[in-house]
Amino acid sequence: MKYTFLMALLVVASFGQTTSAQDVLIRNATVLTVTGGTLEDSDVLITNGIIAEIGSDLRAPRGVEEVDATGKFVMPGIIDAHAHIALSSINEGSSPVTAEVSMEDVTNPYHLGIYRASAGGVTVSHTMHGSANVIGGQNETIKHRWGATDPDAIRFEGAPRTIKFALGENPTRVHGRRGSGGTGAIVPATRMGVEQVLRSAFENGKRYMEAWDAYNTEMKTNPRAVPPVWNERLEVMADILRGEILVHCHSYRADEIVMLTRVLKDYGVDKITFQHANEAFKVAPELAAYGAHASVFSDWWSYKFEVYYSTAYNAAILTRNGVITSINSDSGELNRHLYHEAAKSQRYGGLTDDEALALITINPAIQLGIQDRVGSIEIGKDGDVAIFEGHPLSIYAIPVLTYVDGVKVFDRESDADDMRVDVDPTSEVGMYEGQITGRDHYHGHDEVVDMMRFFQSVADTDLH
Amino acid sequence: MSKESAFSRKGIRRGVLWLALAALWMLPAEALAQKNSPDIPVVSTVTAIQNARIVQAPGQVIESGTVVFRDGVITAVGRRADIPYDAHVIDAGDSLTVYAGLIDALSHVGIPEPRNQGQPESVPDRSNPPFERAGITPEASARAALDPEDDAVEAMRKAGFTAALVAPRGRMLPGQATLALLAGTDASEMVLQGAEPMFFQFQGAQGVYPGTPMGVMSKFRQLYREASRRMQLEAMYADDPSGLSKPPFDQVHEAFFPVISGDRPVAIWTDEVLEIHRAMKLQEELGFSMMLFGLEGGFDTVDKVAASGVPVALTLDLPDKPRWAAKVEADSLQQVLDAYDDETRTATFRDVEAEQRNLESRQLWSRARYVGMAAAYEEAGVPFAFASMGADAGDIHANIREMIGEGLPSDAALAALTTNAASMLGVADRMGTVQTGMMANLLVTDGNLFDEDTRITMTFVNGHMFEAPASEGRRGGNSPSDR
Repeated sequence: MKYTFLMALLVVASFGQTTSAQDVLIRNATVLTVTGGTLEDSDVLITNGIIAEIGSDLRAPRGVEEVDATGKFVMPGIIDAHAHIALSSINEGSSPVTAEVSMEDVTNPYHLGIYRASAGGVTVSHTMHGSANVIGGQNETIKHRWGATDPDAIRFEGAPRTIKFALGENPTRVHGRRGSGGTGAIVPATRMGVEQVLRSAFENGKRYMEAWDAYNTEMKTNPRAVPPVWNERLEVMADILRGEILVHCHSYRADEIVMLTRVLKDYGVDKITFQHANEAFKVAPELAAYGAHASVFSDWWSYKFEVYYSTAYNAAILTRNGVITSINSDSGELNRHLYHEAAKSQRYGGLTDDEALALITINPAIQLGIQDRVGSIEIGKDGDVAIFEGHPLSIYAIPVLTYVDGVKVFDRESDADDMRVDVDPTSEVGMYEGQITGRDHYHGHDEVVDMMRFFQSVADTDLH
Repeated sequence: MSKESAFSRKGIRRGVLWLALAALWMLPAEALAQKNSPDIPVVSTVTAIQNARIVQAPGQVIESGTVVFRDGVITAVGRRADIPYDAHVIDAGDSLTVYAGLIDALSHVGIPEPRNQGQPESVPDRSNPPFERAGITPEASARAALDPEDDAVEAMRKAGFTAALVAPRGRMLPGQATLALLAGTDASEMVLQGAEPMFFQFQGAQGVYPGTPMGVMSKFRQLYREASRRMQLEAMYADDPSGLSKPPFDQVHEAFFPVISGDRPVAIWTDEVLEIHRAMKLQEELGFSMMLFGLEGGFDTVDKVAASGVPVALTLDLPDKPRWAAKVEADSLQQVLDAYDDETRTATFRDVEAEQRNLESRQLWSRARYVGMAAAYEEAGVPFAFASMGADAGDIHANIREMIGEGLPSDAALAALTTNAASMLGVADRMGTVQTGMMANLLVTDGNLFDEDTRITMTFVNGHMFEAPASEGRRGGNSPSDR
């Protein structure tokens, strides 16, 4: 039974895509650059993972693989500004403010959601904390380097830090409806409470920052200066105040969206993207004036009370008002057809091709602070591209090839039934996440048991 | 054997000793250990095992020799060794093998599982629970919780283990682990001086902060960095308290001081590959001295672990076979494996069975990676021990045989269970080999330790003998095909 060696070969051959930068020359495609118009019958050369040349009849350096894309469309790799794939936990729901936790600590490169997203032309995901807390954890921007097994290998190196905020029904339900008849409830139970939690957190962060600044000044002259109490949570709040962390806020209603811009203004925080933001169209001029961004759905709504007032014109209205807008998935299913979602905003709002494509490429790149590296096909940018049969905004579009850093991560021609990198050796086939039926949120056994106990206790108390 | 008369002085003496020894075998452990009581006469504290095959250390074998130990210490080992006049003599008759007692590098053995835990108590503020409710008691020690009556102590001894690094039970930071002998009348007799690392696992609290792995990571950083600050304050205060407020104090932060100063390592339990990365990330950020345990699924981290030089002990647990595979004969399993096709593309609705068969085959390949993990670490030149935490004592030898079947050299398996474990736990000068001067922790088998039909007939812990009743099956474990 010595199949270790054989198996190592097998793993390398079929699942272990190399994650080092590679070279490829894509020939004769219609190139949708997004920022530089559409180029017919053009070639794109990627060397060492970077777009080196764009033009016609490019010469392939020796040994570089050529891909004939005649009749096909090449677009920048799609960027999903709101995802929960590739994470082993989502919500540290035990406190209304958990700025200190980070998805960086629970990045899971084995998650099949990465491959599935790449099969929809998505090359970058913004993997986010959940919306249980007013100030949730920090998020992690990843590249879809499928086949990597070290969490560090899929991080988007140098991407700015971002953090999840959440307004409205989710945090008020999780924290403000706790216990029998609300006996275990804490602030926030209302939208007013949400604002108060935000202001308190910022105020504490500000004092913390001032205390450390004072200490750092004093210690230069006084070796017996006493450092303030260390606080991981307020460290992060202070970093937000210093402008080192971009805020991405789960929100729906126009009133709460405006509320947050006022709070942020009071604390001098100007980097804000409103996530979901189904009512953002009502306050589009206000958002544009603040310089706020929006990341929305094309037509997904009515899944809870605060999401009824919605329109498929949201993205178009925001765009026309000068708000940098993206369309995200928040879903391990929807992220596989973000090009359809972008197309819907064109169908309803009449956006141009470039405007519609920008919703899933350069605009989310701007919102994540990675627009210098990805989001368009330009010389010097990362070799992240998606090749489609049919125009990506057509209902007949089929993604056929996806490259990350010049490395092929999806090929429709070699998309076998089982593309997992790791396989649970024990559970029954078909019963476990990722096998036949896929689930996007993976929870460890203990986490599930704890969660069930928690919800059971909530249910028990609520019934009495 | 001697031809002297049974009535010669030597013969009588030997007869008496054999009787005494026979009586000892029938006594339970607690009676044995009462030998120090003034009321009960001491029979003898010297034992000699002669005509035995002695595996002194992996690859270092005396084909026929004698081991003598007195008061828990080996006094002689060799092809010829003088047998003291007062020794119990065990004649191995050239059919028994003596090994160094096995060392379990991390375990809860000796700490009974608490019963009826029920719902955890509710707290006024879920976001800021008391330390204990959050599973944070690093000031506690396994020493206080040791109980020789715990069933696992006997079960592990029967599997050949004589000592273990025992971690307290709990969640994130249950306390300090302790080195313990797997026998004794009470906790204090079990305790061995030696490694006392701070035990840490990525186990969130129930219903309160920190409840997730990311919360646990953040809480650990918080405790560590605030403790660093308090250490600095305490040093300033000790140096000159004038003009300084009293430094804040609590036991939890204080328990981090020796960790921060490098005097106490952190023993981190990892039971999936992502936890290995998390542990290494924390260690890199904070710079404490770390020992890694478990590493289940860590076949993808071999290079990273090798490069880090972190001491590791691999899990003795193996994933259970899926139900479908448990019913299939070993020969047929090989056929299933050989049938694997990584390019299968079947429309699920057309041929579910074909897809299912292929997924099952892949699953077996996956399990083989878990089984082959120890061999992979061995091949990479990473010295590792083994840890039983999470494994059933009865499965351990069957699991090791499976690992050997997947390419782990049996000497490497033995080293992991003896010399490497002793080195990792800082007790290589007293445990892990059969040599003069070492503690008399031994096990005696009727064959090669890792052969399927070998029986462990006796175990000696600190010189005290425990014999397996002849009727008892080998190690009482399930064969792997049953699992």
